[in-house]
Amino acid sequence: MSSIMKIENLQAKIGDKEILKGLNLELEPGKVHAIMGPNGAGKSTLSKAIVGHYDVDVTDGNIIYKNQIINDIAPEKRALEGIFLSFQHPVEIPGVNNAYFLRTALNAKRKHEGKEELDAAAFLRLMKEYLTLLDMKSDMISRSLNVGFSGGEKKRNEILQMMLLEPEVIILDEIDSGLDIDALRAVSEGINKMKDGKRSFLVITHYSRILDYIKPDYIHVLKEGKIIKTAGPELVAQLEEHGYDGIEEE
Amino acid sequence: MNLSILKNKTSEEIGKHLDIKDRVTLLERLSTLGLPSKKNEAYRYFDVEKLLEKEYKILDNLPMSPKPSNKIEIKDGIVVAAPQGMRVYSEHCDKIDMDHFDPLYYLGHLLSPQTIKIELDGDVEVEIEHTFTQSDTLIHYRIVLYNQANRHATVYENFVHETIENTLVLYGYDMHIAQDSTLRVVKMQSMQHSGYSMIASHTINVAQNANALLKTFDIGSDQALQLFKITLDTHAHVDAGHLLYLNANAKRGTVSQIVHTGEYASSTQEAKNILDAQSRGIFDALIKVENTAKYTKAAQNSQAILLHDGAYMIAKPQLEIYIDELEASHGATIGQLDKQQLFYLESRGISHVEAKKILVIAFANTLIEQVKDSRQQERIKIAFEKAFYAGYSENSSLS
Ligand SMILES: Nc1ncnc2c1ncn2[C@@H]1O[C@H](COP(=O)(O)OP(=O)(O)OP(=O)(O)O)[C@@H](O)[C@H]1O
Ligand SMILES: [Mg+2]
Repeated sequence: MSSIMKIENLQAKIGDKEILKGLNLELEPGKVHAIMGPNGAGKSTLSKAIVGHYDVDVTDGNIIYKNQIINDIAPEKRALEGIFLSFQHPVEIPGVNNAYFLRTALNAKRKHEGKEELDAAAFLRLMKEYLTLLDMKSDMISRSLNVGFSGGEKKRNEILQMMLLEPEVIILDEIDSGLDIDALRAVSEGINKMKDGKRSFLVITHYSRILDYIKPDYIHVLKEGKIIKTAGPELVAQLEEHGYDGIEEE
Repeated sequence: MNLSILKNKTSEEIGKHLDIKDRVTLLERLSTLGLPSKKNEAYRYFDVEKLLEKEYKILDNLPMSPKPSNKIEIKDGIVVAAPQGMRVYSEHCDKIDMDHFDPLYYLGHLLSPQTIKIELDGDVEVEIEHTFTQSDTLIHYRIVLYNQANRHATVYENFVHETIENTLVLYGYDMHIAQDSTLRVVKMQSMQHSGYSMIASHTINVAQNANALLKTFDIGSDQALQLFKITLDTHAHVDAGHLLYLNANAKRGTVSQIVHTGEYASSTQEAKNILDAQSRGIFDALIKVENTAKYTKAAQNSQAILLHDGAYMIAKPQLEIYIDELEASHGATIGQLDKQQLFYLESRGISHVEAKKILVIAFANTLIEQVKDSRQQERIKIAFEKAFYAGYSENSSLS
């Protein structure tokens, strides 16, 4: 099976600190890949490298998306081409209306695809549908982007953006942290709805709970800047029981 | 006429040059303060000398009877149109502020003995549109504005120009805001290689229990300075807000003095400055609390965002107090757009330029949204976006 994204020998620094030390990973279309690993292992750094975050300095290796090396492609281009990251810590942007932001992002994408821009009314109809699905209060989109949102509300807003933008590679960095049980279910449903047999998911998590909802196909263990083990979903139980200490590089 | 010949002259000499025999006190004030130069406190950051050194034509300011219109139209300093029934006429100014800090306030009055007097009746809303059509000209005029006690009036000030070059506009208001009234003034001046420079020198008296709301939106390039002296009587209140969005080689801003003379008066002044390219923004603002002004409340704040290495902000909020029964605060910050916020927007497919624009507008919006009239608000937003994109087509901050 050919991959939609391939990461080869990725080495990356944040400041002077080497974080990713020759990381290899392949994402298959239509599959759910989970990444687990200890705090500080480099999971968020990997996700940031994939979307072109300014913090991360890729020093060696390649990120290949749809057979193209994207190391030097601008972040907005990567997004327009279908790469999406749900941030571990979404930023608050006072003064920017959430609905305005969502519509601007959607229309940027539609324009990129040569489609007509969506007008305010059509956009609101679409929003209503997603808000219900994610069990979000309707005032969430009339407020400033993420400002004063609770942890769970921020995560739902990330999922809302994912649903709207219909990306092809979806990276979810601890989407489950800070979610109550109902929110976890709503968010998982949103994610499952996006599964279409082509999209690929990279789910970064510390807990098995979310993986009960969005069945992963592969579990990757990221430790000290490398993927040291890849296995099927059965690995989760083992990790839950024994932690990462016993895992050795294959 | 070349104004620089008035430099370092006695009041008699100035009078001779300007061919003015009476108005001795004004001549003396101008002579004492001196024609502005870099040494003059109020003009320290503004290249005023170059403007004053040029040779200008002077127009004959002959008042004419205005045509009916939905707004007051002032063309090259002359009222050419006004709403029917509105009291707009030409009159000698009898109440001049003898304590103004700005020499050009006095020069303006000396050059324009006949002023445009506007009396606002009741709860009116009026637009004043200034048009400039002459090149190489010193366009000078003064406006005296009164409102009525217990009334709430609004003035929208806008500026347009024809294709001109090398013109200097010297104008300003003497505003008398009546007891228990509210006067709201919204000024929007968008200049983009407009061909004129402007020095606007105002004095604003806010009577007992009166409310002055003063919102200024200065957008684009070029050279323009607004100088205010605002005097607050007992229980008077002023709420001033200044938005500056500059590109290219603009040098623009505000020099102000808010003087608390009466007890229980309050003032707030907020400046938001966004500077791109090689522009220079000025916010040089003094709040002065006199010993008669017990229980003053004064708050002053300036925030600046620099979009380019070449941009420069001069922010000088200052407090001068002669009494200790007061509440006062002031501060100034200068920074850049938040990288994390920019990235977040970009990571959703919004281009770098659009992301910048969204954040810049978000920063400015708290001031823009204070303009209640939706048409005027829209006008400001459009000017703002235009200046934003103009800045991009002209300079290298597209990175
Ligand atoms: N902006 C930064 N400046 C300095 N160091 C950083 C920065 N961001 C991350 N790091 C460091 O890089 C290392 C990897 O961080 P990263 O966020 O990728 O870990 P993680 O695997 O996502 O951890 P967690 O499970 O806690 O989210 C950590 O040691 C962290 O302190
Ligand atoms: Mg992390």
